[in-house]
Amino acid sequence: MATATSEAPALAPAPATKPPRRRGRWTPYWLLLPGLLWLFVFFALPMVYQVSTSVQTGSLEEGYKVTWHFATYWNALADYWPQFLRSVLYAGSATVLCLLLGYPLAYLIAFRAGRWRNLIMILVIAPFFTSFLIRTLAWKTILADGGPVVGVLNSLHVLDVTSRLGITAGDRVLATPLAVVCGLTYNFLPFMILPLYTSLERIDGRLHEAAGDLYARPFTTFRKVTFPLSMPGVVSGTLLTFIPASGDYVNADLLGSTDTRMVGNVIQTQFLRILDYPTAAALSFILMAAILVMVTLYIRKSGTEDLV
Amino acid sequence: MNDMTLEKAATVEFRGLRREFGPTVALDGLDLDVRPGELVALLGPSGCGKTTALRMLAGFEHPDSGEVLVDGQDVTEVPAHRRDAGMVFQSYSLFPHLSAVDNVAFGLRMRKVRTAERRARAAELLDLVGLGDKGERFPHQLSGGQQQRVAVARALINHPKVLLLDEPLGALDLKLRRQMQLELKRIQTEVGITFVHVTHDQEEAMTMADTVAVMNGGRVEQLGSPSDLYENPRTTFVANFLGTSNLIEAEVDTRSGDGIVLKAGGGKLLLPEARCSAPTTTGGKVLVGVRPEKISLTHADAAGDIPAGRNRITGKIAATSFIGVSTQYVVDSAVCPEFEVYVQNIDRDAKLAPGAEVVLHWNPAHTFGLHADQSLLAGTTGSAGVGTVDDEAAV
Repeated sequence: MATATSEAPALAPAPATKPPRRRGRWTPYWLLLPGLLWLFVFFALPMVYQVSTSVQTGSLEEGYKVTWHFATYWNALADYWPQFLRSVLYAGSATVLCLLLGYPLAYLIAFRAGRWRNLIMILVIAPFFTSFLIRTLAWKTILADGGPVVGVLNSLHVLDVTSRLGITAGDRVLATPLAVVCGLTYNFLPFMILPLYTSLERIDGRLHEAAGDLYARPFTTFRKVTFPLSMPGVVSGTLLTFIPASGDYVNADLLGSTDTRMVGNVIQTQFLRILDYPTAAALSFILMAAILVMVTLYIRKSGTEDLV
Repeated sequence: MNDMTLEKAATVEFRGLRREFGPTVALDGLDLDVRPGELVALLGPSGCGKTTALRMLAGFEHPDSGEVLVDGQDVTEVPAHRRDAGMVFQSYSLFPHLSAVDNVAFGLRMRKVRTAERRARAAELLDLVGLGDKGERFPHQLSGGQQQRVAVARALINHPKVLLLDEPLGALDLKLRRQMQLELKRIQTEVGITFVHVTHDQEEAMTMADTVAVMNGGRVEQLGSPSDLYENPRTTFVANFLGTSNLIEAEVDTRSGDGIVLKAGGGKLLLPEARCSAPTTTGGKVLVGVRPEKISLTHADAAGDIPAGRNRITGKIAATSFIGVSTQYVVDSAVCPEFEVYVQNIDRDAKLAPGAEVVLHWNPAHTFGLHADQSLLAGTTGSAGVGTVDDEAAV
């Protein structure tokens, strides 16, 4: 007590030398506001709306009411689990294909292209100049029955093998799983190449020399140095490919058949044709949650939380 | 550590190395012999081909012609991953995804050495470079000097016959650089292998190297011990690039015993014949050089006190700068504008101020003679001495 009173006079002058008011302390928050508002209106609100829709019951004529009818989720899952499985399978295959096709190309652009680098980059991005829909329709022509691609594959007896594997049907490529996966691979390839290129391009070429200097053969250098260092690109590339591909319905719609319907097609039909909004909303929510779980496990496993 | 000191040191020979990059001649018939266990510095301005020569020794570059021999064996066609040379890169190039000890052990992993053994040996080498307790840190958690040490340890792990250092201290601050110069020298003494060190810093080369190869325009300009190069430069490039030299154009007059008497701007200078690398026929031109710290400065009023037998030049002080241990004077003289003189600050003469008439004098034994047929300014800052094909075609 005594010390407290004796200290009081010493503290007294402090308010006199009040620090100057920090100007612009609120500026960062003001600058964040438009973005937060945008997220609220176009992300948070629709999410709430979607959750509420998914637990409603009723019909289009009588109107829907929130009745906390969670059974919609179980029914949707029970009815459409094959489509969910197919989505994961097709998107997964397309992602693996994108990685296999995109990695060598990204490597080439980053380390070997020299003065051709910019031209190849433009070629990678060039498809974006045309609409997604038109490009997918073009694949319909490319893979058409009796077209040159099918002809060549047929004469090489490739289609015999793929038919036996169940990914094509007889002489047809169009309207088969192969066509859908091809379309997905094609459409999402740039999303794989760009992050791969970015992370490869950042690798110091002298690290290759350093590895070579330490008796690493070129392929060992790739395995032990280049590939581990490109992991951030691999992870973000696969995510950028897998996530949109698993929700895609255009490729399955245009290049597939009723046997290749993905969950995106089901949601589209439920929303726009059957007008069963609760089921469509529940399906969307399940898809979102499933992707979130898979992506979390994947990032955990690849140990690159801080790199993505 | 015993197995390391027993390591056999190797010779390194460059035979007529030539390499062009487009129009630039990086190496123009480089010849160099490095004795086993020697620390040799390739010293030169940027663009003189020193790094290219080092990269050829490592196997990262291939010469257009010529050959590289290590321990008497031609390794020109041997790829980098089969050469017994360890490289310390300019920017260290540590693997960012591996810890310090894994970086050091990388070379052993490539040779399929078992995990326990390679970690033990990597830890041993980290001890050698004074980082025994930092093995689990990642490169980005280490300071520049520490990364440097890891890079040295990593390059030494496979018992290379030669250790190559490419401007290894370039990224460090002055104090750390001094410390690492001594450290590298200590490591070299300890492991006893041949070191080839590339640098553009003459002080670093002189501090560390047993032998310095001064490079210019893709070839070795002069090879020798640091003191030999400093005292007896054979070209103006070496005279200017290693420290500072005052160069005076003079004409051979007569001989007197072991010395040559030269005429320079009305005065006479004495040059020991043994220290002249140019022909000395009477009437011929010679460049006379003297280092700034060998010169004494006396005010013109006291010129009578200068002992006889010293080389003298008169002039006027143009500028002085006090730098603690010494004072640097720039003197304008008829024979040489901007004559530089460094005088130790023992008894400072207040009369030696800008504008004062002075006599510069020095012991004739400190004079050296160079061939007159070369630029006085070669090797000074700003003239890199890079030769191009175009230049040579024009000659």
